[in-house]
Amino acid sequence: MLGQIGFGVVAVMLLFTAFRVVTARNLVHTVLWLGLALAVTAVVYVMLGAHFLAAIQIILYTGGVLTLMLFGVMLTHRDEGFVAVQNPSGRYVAGGLLAVSVFAMLAAAIVRTPSLPATPAPPVSTEALGAAFLTEQVLAFEVLSLLLLVAAVGAIVMARRRDAGEEGESQGAVLPERKVLPLRQPQPDAESAPVAARASGGDA
Amino acid sequence: MTFVLSNPWLHGLVFGAVLVSVLMALVAFITWFERKLAGRIQSRLGPTMVGPFGLLQPIADAVKAMQKDFIVPKDADRFLFWLAPPLTIAFALATAAVIPFSKDVLAANLDVGVLYALAFSGLLAFPTWVAGWASNNKYALLGGMRMVAQGISYEIPMVMAALVPVTLAGTLSMQGIVEYQVASGWIIATPVGAAAGLLFLTTALAEGNRIPFDIPEAESELVAGPTTEYNAIGWSIFAASEYAHSVITAAIVSALFLGGWDGWWNLPPLLWMVAKTGFVFLIVTWVRWSLLRFRSDQLMALCWKYLVPGALLLVLIAGIQVSVRG
Repeated sequence: MLGQIGFGVVAVMLLFTAFRVVTARNLVHTVLWLGLALAVTAVVYVMLGAHFLAAIQIILYTGGVLTLMLFGVMLTHRDEGFVAVQNPSGRYVAGGLLAVSVFAMLAAAIVRTPSLPATPAPPVSTEALGAAFLTEQVLAFEVLSLLLLVAAVGAIVMARRRDAGEEGESQGAVLPERKVLPLRQPQPDAESAPVAARASGGDA
Repeated sequence: MTFVLSNPWLHGLVFGAVLVSVLMALVAFITWFERKLAGRIQSRLGPTMVGPFGLLQPIADAVKAMQKDFIVPKDADRFLFWLAPPLTIAFALATAAVIPFSKDVLAANLDVGVLYALAFSGLLAFPTWVAGWASNNKYALLGGMRMVAQGISYEIPMVMAALVPVTLAGTLSMQGIVEYQVASGWIIATPVGAAAGLLFLTTALAEGNRIPFDIPEAESELVAGPTTEYNAIGWSIFAASEYAHSVITAAIVSALFLGGWDGWWNLPPLLWMVAKTGFVFLIVTWVRWSLLRFRSDQLMALCWKYLVPGALLLVLIAGIQVSVRG
């Protein structure tokens, strides 16, 4: 009974936060609501006894929202006041149809599924989960790792500045090579000498 | 008493209330300790005027902060500006729930305690960024952006360094790791454990925005970073949560690497845990008042060129050690 009330409260919170994600007018607020929605999802996992999944949900998803917030700042101007999220295409009919059909599909799937027991399944221990990753599910695990590695390497390649010497790439603005100073920088005399001369009032 | 301990709801409520009260009281006097220590390091006396040895200084400071007017800038995002300080302290204190202070003194013995602690520790950049953004001040926003960049970078070696005791003990529960150390020696006593401990402490300093990693705050360039626009009680809450986070991080280091409540001479385990936490906090404070601030590029180079590969290597060595042990 207590569990059902708890689930009801959490479900209402989840729906409300998800609703605010799409209705908030300010991009940063949207992202914050998203973070809250993802955190509430972690609470659902805890209620189902999946503690490992809940912790990972917080670390990866809610933590990942931080990165999204940076986009929020970089893509909007705070000084213009609240940014209205625009819908430039204005295809409300097509969008509405799509939303209704997705809803119908999900609803059909839910209705057809035989009702599951309301009591949470016996929790799977973290040891069993780890063992499953490296035995039964090892192929999926490795493929996913490879996919993430490709994404990481791809991001670095795309973010890297193009070399000025490369041909056919000079239409874009080529930023000057930034001087990256080493951790321990030896003080070159050539740079410090004029400063010293100026400081001492020398008329060089 | 037994009824309270056996009922999970009451246990959580009572223990949580006690833990938060004790920690907040501790934090007040830790500011005194830090100011005294900083004074000694810099050849001065620190607070001396209020109470014996200046011991009542934190209370005087707190009363002063509460009396002041909490000013919200005109163009700030009012709600988020209000929300950021309580959120910060909540995230900082939430980590304390999984710290084992002795065999029974523990708020929640989670199977995934280490992950829980790391999750909330990593989330601390979140309210800090919100504070910076809501202030609508360029210095505050820059500080918030730096906090996020630093937080998400240093989380990676931090999690990997924590993986070393997890691998050696074969459990994600904090209590389980301490019990492993009681049975088969402290993790810091093994070479790989000592290296991982040092690495974890370094990343924890960065995660907690402490010198030499306090680039988000950088008072010489950003006024006070994300907290620039905060005054009165709002600022005090940020300061308190920074200290609370430092103390809790010191406790996590003690539990993961220094054997937690394990000790000699039949002294109470709680005392050992507090002593170890105090020792780690002393080191952190000592570092703070001895070193200079890194530059941004040095910070990133340190993380990605040294700490991440080093942490990967340590995880590999720990894995080999465990598989050889069988």
